[in-house]
Amino acid sequence: MPDLVKIEKLRVEYRSRESQNGFKVAVDGLDLTVGSGEVFGFLGPNGAGKTTTMNVLLGFVSPSSGSASLFGVDVREPIARQRIGYLPELTYYYKFLSAEELLRFYGKIFRIPKGELEKRIDSILKLVELEHARKRLIKTYSKGMQQRAGIAQALINNPDLLILDEPTSGLDPIGRMKVREIIQRLKEEGKTVFFSSHELGEVETVCDRVAILYQGKLQVEGRVDDLVKNYKTNLEQIFLKVIGYQSSQAV
Amino acid sequence: MPKLFLAFLFVLCFSVAALRENTPSISVATPRQPDVNTGAGLLSSLMGDSRRMFANHFFSKADAYFHSGYYPTIFDRSASPERSHLQGGGGEQPEGEDHNHSEHDEKAGFLGEPLDCLESFGRNFFPSQHSHLETGNERELLPWLKLSAELDPQKIETYTIASFWLRTRLGKTNEAEQFLREGLHANPNSYEILFELGRICEENHKDTACAHNLYALALQKWTDEKNRGGSPDEFVCQQITAFAARLEERAGNFPAAIGYLEKLKEISPAKDLIGKQILDLRAKIDGPGIPLKK
Amino acid sequence: MINNALAVAGIVIKELYRRKDFYVLFVLTALITLLLGCVNFFNDDRIARYLKEICLLLIWISSLIIAVTTTARQIPAERENRTIFPLLAKPLTRGHLVFGKFLGCWFASGLSLVVFYFFFCVVSGAREHQWPLLIYLQALWLHWILLALVVAMVLLGSIMFAAPSSNSTICFIFIVGILLVGRHLHRIAIQLQEPIRTIVSVIYFAIPHLEFYDIREMIVHNLPPISMLACLIATVYAIGYTAFFLIATWLVFRRKSLTA
Ligand SMILES: Nc1ncnc2c1ncn2[C@@H]1O[C@H](COP(=O)(O)OP(=O)(O)OP(=O)(O)O)[C@@H](O)[C@H]1O
Ligand SMILES: [Mg+2]
Repeated sequence: MPDLVKIEKLRVEYRSRESQNGFKVAVDGLDLTVGSGEVFGFLGPNGAGKTTTMNVLLGFVSPSSGSASLFGVDVREPIARQRIGYLPELTYYYKFLSAEELLRFYGKIFRIPKGELEKRIDSILKLVELEHARKRLIKTYSKGMQQRAGIAQALINNPDLLILDEPTSGLDPIGRMKVREIIQRLKEEGKTVFFSSHELGEVETVCDRVAILYQGKLQVEGRVDDLVKNYKTNLEQIFLKVIGYQSSQAV
Repeated sequence: MPKLFLAFLFVLCFSVAALRENTPSISVATPRQPDVNTGAGLLSSLMGDSRRMFANHFFSKADAYFHSGYYPTIFDRSASPERSHLQGGGGEQPEGEDHNHSEHDEKAGFLGEPLDCLESFGRNFFPSQHSHLETGNERELLPWLKLSAELDPQKIETYTIASFWLRTRLGKTNEAEQFLREGLHANPNSYEILFELGRICEENHKDTACAHNLYALALQKWTDEKNRGGSPDEFVCQQITAFAARLEERAGNFPAAIGYLEKLKEISPAKDLIGKQILDLRAKIDGPGIPLKK
Repeated sequence: MINNALAVAGIVIKELYRRKDFYVLFVLTALITLLLGCVNFFNDDRIARYLKEICLLLIWISSLIIAVTTTARQIPAERENRTIFPLLAKPLTRGHLVFGKFLGCWFASGLSLVVFYFFFCVVSGAREHQWPLLIYLQALWLHWILLALVVAMVLLGSIMFAAPSSNSTICFIFIVGILLVGRHLHRIAIQLQEPIRTIVSVIYFAIPHLEFYDIREMIVHNLPPISMLACLIATVYAIGYTAFFLIATWLVFRRKSLTA
C-alpha cells in the first residue's frame, strides 16, 4: 500500500507574544503516514494541532522543520492539488453566491468540462441534500447547510484524497449519519480519507486507523481494532486515558 | 458604507448651493461686519470667509469657462499672480470686446515651456490652447456666476459681468436687469450696479429719464462712499460721468452735459480731450443753433 | 493561469452586481445630475457645460469609490471569511488569485463605467444635440486604463495594510493628490530649497501620472479629440505601472502567512 500522506518529524511553531521564548510549538515531531484507500481518523483535544497539521499538508503553513508530502510530492509544490478534496473548519463561503454557483466556480478551476460539471453538481447536491436550496444565496443558509455546501465543494473534483477538518461539526444526527455514509462510500470506491473529528463513536465505526495527538505530540497511532484489543476498552476511554484525564468516577 | 456617503456629502453641499437658485437669498441684507468678539461671531465670520472663498472659486471658474478651460490653476497662478480676465472683459470697460492685450499675451503663455517630457506629454490631455467663447456660448459662464453670487451676494463684479454678457451677447436684457436688481438689493450702495442699470435703461430700453436718474444716483453713491472715507474706483466714476455727459448731450441738454464734463475733467487723465469737448459744446450753445435744428 | 484568473474574476463581477454599492452610486449620480439639470439659469435652456462638468465629476468620484473599495476588500475578505483556504487547496496558485482579483475588479469597474458614460452621453446629447462619440470613447478608454492602474495599486495596498478601510483611505488620498497636484510637482520643486527640491522632483518622476487619463476638461469645453498616438502612449505607460504593482503584489503575497 503506497503512502498517500507522509509526514516526517514535522514541527510547526507559531509566533506568540505570551510565551517567554517568543513562539509556540503547535506540532512537535510528528510522524504519520496514511496509506492509499485508508480512512484515517485524526483525533486530539482542542488545540492539539490537528488543524495546523492539515494546514501544513495544504501548504498554508510552512513547517519549521521536518517534511510532509502528498502523493509522494512535497507539499510545497502545488502539483498534487488536482486530486485533493479539502474541507476546512469554520468556513464561510462566498455569501453572495448560491451553492450551485459556488460549485460551478470551483469546477471551473478544475477544468471539468461543462456538461460533466453540471451532472456532477446535480449528483453532489443530491448527496449532501442541498437540492432544495441550490439556487439560494449561501448567506441565507443555516450553519449545517453551510457545512454541507463545504462537503459538496470538497467532492466536486472526485478527489482521490480527502482531507476533512471536522466534517460533522454543526450537523444534525441525520447529517452526521449521512457524512458517515459518504465516507464509507468513498472508501468503497477506493478513495483515501484523512479527517479530524471529536466524535469518537463515529470515528470508531468508519476508520481503519486513528492517531491521537496531544499538545502537538503523537500519543497513539494504530488500527482501531488493534487499539481496542490492546487497551481492552472503547476508543473514548483510550482517548481519555491517553490525554491523561481522570474522570471523577474513576478516582 | 459610511465612507461612500461622506464622499458624496460635499457634492451634495455643492448641489444644494446651486439649487437655492430660485429661493430668495436669505443672507441678502447682512452687512459685511465680522464680529470677532464672541465665539459665535468668529464662527460666522469663518463661515462667511469660506463662502467667500467658494464664491471666488466659482467666479474664476466662470473665467476658466470663458477660456474653454485654458486657465491657470493655483499652482500656475502662484508663479504669476493676475487679475481675473473676466473683469477686463466685463463691466469695467465700456466696450467689453476690447481686451487688454498685454495682459492677454502674458496669460496666454502661462503654461510656459514644458520642463520635462512628462509635462509636455501631459499637455495632450487638457486644454492648452488659448481661446475665447463666442457665438452665444458665453451662456456657459452664467451658472457659475449665479452660484458665486448666491454664495457671496456682496461681490459686485459678479452682477455687472453677468449683466454684461446677458445683455450684449445673449440678448437677455430682462434677465440682466433682474439679476442686477438682486445685486442692488444686496448692495444698495453699489454705484457700479446702478451704473449698469443705467446703461440698460439708456442702451436697451432707450429710457433717457430713467438712465439720467440712475447715473445721477450712481454718482451720488460714489461721492457718498468717498465722503465716508472709502476708496471708490476712480475709473468707474470717470465712466459714469462720461456716460452721463453723453446722455445729456444727446438729449440736447448742453449746460448739464458741460457740468458733467467739467467734473470729468477734474478726475480724468485725458484733460485736454475733455477740455476740447467742453469748448465744442460751449460753441453749440453760443452758436446760432442752426446745426441743432438740422 | 488565464482559466483560473477568469474564474476568480467572474466571482468578483458577480459580487459587484449583487451588492448595492454600484446602484446607490449610480442613482445618486443620476439624481444629482438630473436635479441640477432642472435648475433654471436666466431662462436659458441651452446652458450645458456646467452640467457636463458636474456629471463627469460625479462619475469620476463614483468610479474611484467603486474601484478602490471593491479592490481593497477582496483579499482581506477572502482571508477573513477563510474562503481563501478551500480556494488555494484547489489547483490555483496565489499568483492566479492576485491576477484573477485584478481582472475581476478591473472588468467590474469597467462595466460600471460603461453604464455611467452611457448616462453621460444621454445627458449631454439631450442638452447639446451633438454626440462627439470619438472623444467620449477616448475618455471611457483612458478612464478604464486608469482604473487598471488604480486597482493594481489598491491590490498591493490590500496585502500591505491590515485593514481595508485604512488601505482605501490611503489610496484615495494618494490618487486624489496625484490627480490634483501631480502635474505641478516639478514646477513646485524648482521653487524649493535644495534637499526638498530633489525629493519632490524624484517623487514627480516616480509617481504614476494619473492626471493624463483625465480628459474631462476637453469634453466639457467641446474640444477636439486627443491624438490617437497620445492615447496609445498613455495606455502603454499605464500598463507598465500596472504590471509593476501586480508583480509587487504577487511577490509580497507569495510570502505572506495566511494564518496570522
Ligand atoms: N495563527 C496562529 N497563531 C498562533 N498560534 C496558533 C495559530 N493557529 C493555531 N495556533 C495555536 O496552535 C495550537 C494548535 O492549534 P490547532 O488549530 O491546530 O488545534 P486543533 O487541534 O485544530 O484544535 P480544535 O480541535 O479546537 O480545532 C493551539 O494551541 C493554537 O493556540
Ligand atoms: Mg481544528
